[in-house]
Amino acid sequence: MNAWVGTILRVDLAAKTVVKEPLNIKDAHDYVGARGLGTKYFCDEVDPKVEPLSAGNKLIYMTGPLTGTAATSGGRFEVVAKSPLTGTIGAANSGGYFGPELKYAGYDGIIFENASESPVYLYIKDDVVELRDASALWGKSVFETTDLLKEECGSSFKISCIGVPAENGCLFSGVLNDKHRAAGRGGLGAVMGSKKLKAVAVRGTGAVTVARPEKFLDALTNARKTLKAHPVGGSGLAALGTQVLVNIINESGALPTRNWRDGAYFPEANETGGESLAEKYLVKNKGCFACSIDCARVTRVPDGPFKSSGEGPEYEAGWAYGADCGVSDLAAICKANFLCNEHGIDPITMGATIACAMELYEMGAIPESDIGFPLRFGDPHAIVKLTEAVGRFEGFGKILALGSYRLAEKYGHPELSMSVKKQEMPAYDGRAIQGMALEYATSNRGACHVRGYLTSPEILGVPIKVDPFVTEGKAGLLKLFQDLTALIDSTGICLFTTFGLGLQEIAAQYREAVGTDETDDEILLKGERVWNLEKHFNIAAGVEKDTLPPRLLREKLPGGPAAGKVAELYVMLDEYYKVRGWDSDGVPTPEKNVELGIDA
Amino acid sequence: MKLKFFATYREITRCNEEDIPVPHDVWELLTSLGERYGAAIRVKLFTPDGGKISDDAIILVNGRNILHLKGKDTPLDEADAVSIFPMVAGG
Amino acid sequence: MSKQFIIKPEKCVSCRTCELMCSFEHTKKFIPSLSSVTVFDYEAAMTSAPIMCMQCEEACCLKVCPVEAISRDGQGAVVINKDKCIVCKMCVSACPLGNISFSPATKKVFKCDLCGGSPKCAEFCPSGAIQFVDPTESPDRKKAVAEHFKDVFGQEELS
Repeated sequence: MNAWVGTILRVDLAAKTVVKEPLNIKDAHDYVGARGLGTKYFCDEVDPKVEPLSAGNKLIYMTGPLTGTAATSGGRFEVVAKSPLTGTIGAANSGGYFGPELKYAGYDGIIFENASESPVYLYIKDDVVELRDASALWGKSVFETTDLLKEECGSSFKISCIGVPAENGCLFSGVLNDKHRAAGRGGLGAVMGSKKLKAVAVRGTGAVTVARPEKFLDALTNARKTLKAHPVGGSGLAALGTQVLVNIINESGALPTRNWRDGAYFPEANETGGESLAEKYLVKNKGCFACSIDCARVTRVPDGPFKSSGEGPEYEAGWAYGADCGVSDLAAICKANFLCNEHGIDPITMGATIACAMELYEMGAIPESDIGFPLRFGDPHAIVKLTEAVGRFEGFGKILALGSYRLAEKYGHPELSMSVKKQEMPAYDGRAIQGMALEYATSNRGACHVRGYLTSPEILGVPIKVDPFVTEGKAGLLKLFQDLTALIDSTGICLFTTFGLGLQEIAAQYREAVGTDETDDEILLKGERVWNLEKHFNIAAGVEKDTLPPRLLREKLPGGPAAGKVAELYVMLDEYYKVRGWDSDGVPTPEKNVELGIDA
Repeated sequence: MKLKFFATYREITRCNEEDIPVPHDVWELLTSLGERYGAAIRVKLFTPDGGKISDDAIILVNGRNILHLKGKDTPLDEADAVSIFPMVAGG
Repeated sequence: MSKQFIIKPEKCVSCRTCELMCSFEHTKKFIPSLSSVTVFDYEAAMTSAPIMCMQCEEACCLKVCPVEAISRDGQGAVVINKDKCIVCKMCVSACPLGNISFSPATKKVFKCDLCGGSPKCAEFCPSGAIQFVDPTESPDRKKAVAEHFKDVFGQEELS
């Protein structure tokens, strides 16, 4: 086989059966792998109107052709299901070591169907695949579950699992891998929990082969050298991690502050940035499988009320608990973030939901008796306490566990949920970075920064430098970024490789691994096909139209370089639909479907 | 005028923020930094021939990248704040 | 003089590129279970370390082999002659460091052979945790200490 190991596991959780079926190689060719291929399987098999937490939803783990090879950061895989948070296609990408191990065991992916009546986990050791009782694991945290399964199965097993919030339907619970790596957004953990599937434990001793080994070696050697030579992909992220962004985004006046209420400049931002993290709490940096970028932070708060250790925080998590909650205590931010990993929840939505609750409390919309204490912006103890409450699924945590939209709606102010399609926007203000406004509005999984990261050209100047205030040309640029991102997520390598690599180096590795002679443009077109397939699913699912919270469209930024600006969404949106080849309502045209070979 | 350093620049200047006399423009500011902090900062701020600002340096004046202002000729004023970053990214 | 491995666990980022490139060099496949180098993670201690054969000068494996299948090559590597080897696995037991393995899949014993003089683990290690260096050159740890002294006590202008 060429970069694939050739087998998909189909697991019926109700009937307790495991079937090994051949990989659909035509779909693997057309939709690349991981995000694309997982979505293709999902769309072919599941009714878009399915209730996400019902047995009819499916949960798919899918690797890519480059997963498990030495391609640049080639250790990633995708978890796909219909998202209970957004009602859109839910696809979340994870690093770590689980994906490669699954391929070494002989499986490109796993499709979980139906639901079990009692808790189970899937045990995979090469040829041996069986559903096992997980009653003793139910109610355990991600960390406890991982440790217990390694004890039971063996220390070389890789563990993918959910925590207590996911068991209880928390709409932003993730699927956690190797403890600290998450298929984090969109609440896919809750789908896993609704199926009473606690974990997957895998150990594989087999091989991943590639079509043209010598040429593949040349391609990966070239790509690794190019990436290593880049100031960001080579040494920048290793030294300061993603938290290095705090200061540049803040200085650019684009760091949303106190639930986006107080503009986009946080005076205490420096205390929460990557430089402070490195100085105070960083133990060492770490990489995922096959990675040379090594952005992960191994961190320890040695003393004080927030004494703790773990990994992270990443930039968006640091922002959500930091500027968005008005908190400047980095130790508290670290601890809250560690708790998210321990309990398996998305720190972006968690922090942003607390921020929303803070605004609702301060305006008098949430009574103190519902929360149990006065919940004001800037309180470092509050972010830890409320994260613990969601982690244990108790008290006010049960309400927060539904995300900011449902919280704000319950208390009469849905407009104060800073979300798109009910998923919280991350750490870049679309009023100060216009391209990000368009990105949030059009993302196929609700607001998200890793679906077309225009912050890179607009603020960071990678790979080109464009003005963040200008709206012209953003639509075309976003389409390119969205398609390229869909391609990269589908190959099984990390999106961060684009901080050093372009389509050329990525396509070269793909080509030699699978043994194709397609051009770079033909390969990029597969990314566009993936994007359009996702869009078709969302339209059929009846997802709401592309828009932004009214605060971004109407409330002018009060200060900073972008003072007086709002998100000029509708100026860009029409152009975006045009460059996508969609009609004015954002529906792909028959011509576009034919061009991409999508049956619609 | 306020001058702020970030990320790896702090290792060279050993300073996060300082008040300095107002230079005429950005080019004059960067040239003076090159004189103060020597080769360590010059290789980061300028192209190898010294003739241009390096593509890897991000210079903001009041939060706006000088590329979208007047580049190296961007004038400076007492009330301005200049922020200097290396090329960084994340997300 | 033959080069030798220097392992720097403090630089290891657990990416396992060494395992991938070792197995690819020897089998043309990515199969960490057949890698002669293995990365061990110590989560609580927040560290990890790549472990491989250091090519002992007094090699127990070489001494214990009953059929003289193990010898030292021109690069200083202790290597197994697959034609002579009877797979008795005595060397696996004899190695005090556990750096010879038996593969149930291939029914062979295998160990690091320094890739004929340029080990791929060191060549592709992205962080410098595995280095393959000439031992007669000044070791970098000594040099790092010296540089620290220079920074503390030196008078050099920063320019």
